[in-house]
Amino acid sequence: MLLEQTGFTDVVMSNEIDVFSGSKHESDAKDFDTRGVTVYARKPA
Amino acid sequence: MSAQQVGVARIDRDELRRFISEKYREVATNPELGFHFHTGRPLALMLGYPTELIDRLPTANVASFAGTGNPFLFGDLHPGERVIDVGCGAGLDTLIAAQQVGSSGQVVGVDMTPEMREKTQEGARLMGLANVEVRAGFAEALPVADGFADVIISNGVVNLCPDKRAVFGEMLRVLKPGGRIQIGDILVHKEVPQDAKDDIALWSG
Repeated sequence: MLLEQTGFTDVVMSNEIDVFSGSKHESDAKDFDTRGVTVYARKPA
Repeated sequence: MSAQQVGVARIDRDELRRFISEKYREVATNPELGFHFHTGRPLALMLGYPTELIDRLPTANVASFAGTGNPFLFGDLHPGERVIDVGCGAGLDTLIAAQQVGSSGQVVGVDMTPEMREKTQEGARLMGLANVEVRAGFAEALPVADGFADVIISNGVVNLCPDKRAVFGEMLRVLKPGGRIQIGDILVHKEVPQDAKDDIALWSG
């Protein structure tokens, strides 16, 4: 994962959410299986 | 300037920034227009922001919200912490963070779009939050000193930056050792064709 490659640690991801459901962007988002997510990570001490 | 390889895309980065900024200028000034992505209060509720939290914010800041996650899912911020909101947009997360860190803390919102910065600043004024400062800048070149922040929040911004390695490197620079990021964004599970990555019109949906 890019976050770890750039130096972050302790990476945690939330559940994914279908944030484009019902929007005009929905079909494009489905084409690429695009989901919203929240990420936590830490800079090493 | 002609197209150059910028992270995953061969594009003119300045043109991309102008295109995205124009889109979000519309979100800031005319949120009722309707966009290719959800905005406003319904989006915030979809992303798990508590109703009582949203209700404390100025309506105009909520209306132009355009995030893709919820930085506070991983816990509230702590009193006294220094926070950077990368791509603060209309300020929904900035204003929540400013309440959580309190008067002993500080929140710096950074955004490239003037109309969004103005909206965040006005929201802070309306709420009497003197611990909010809004600065012009880009995610790849934050106008913040090394090791400034305890926490970086961001919401729906990294996906708009073709050079994600540069963004994360900049986040590392401005964080204190042991500091953390709590950022909402999108995951794309299927490979995007290179011609789509190189198409500026697709970058902001």
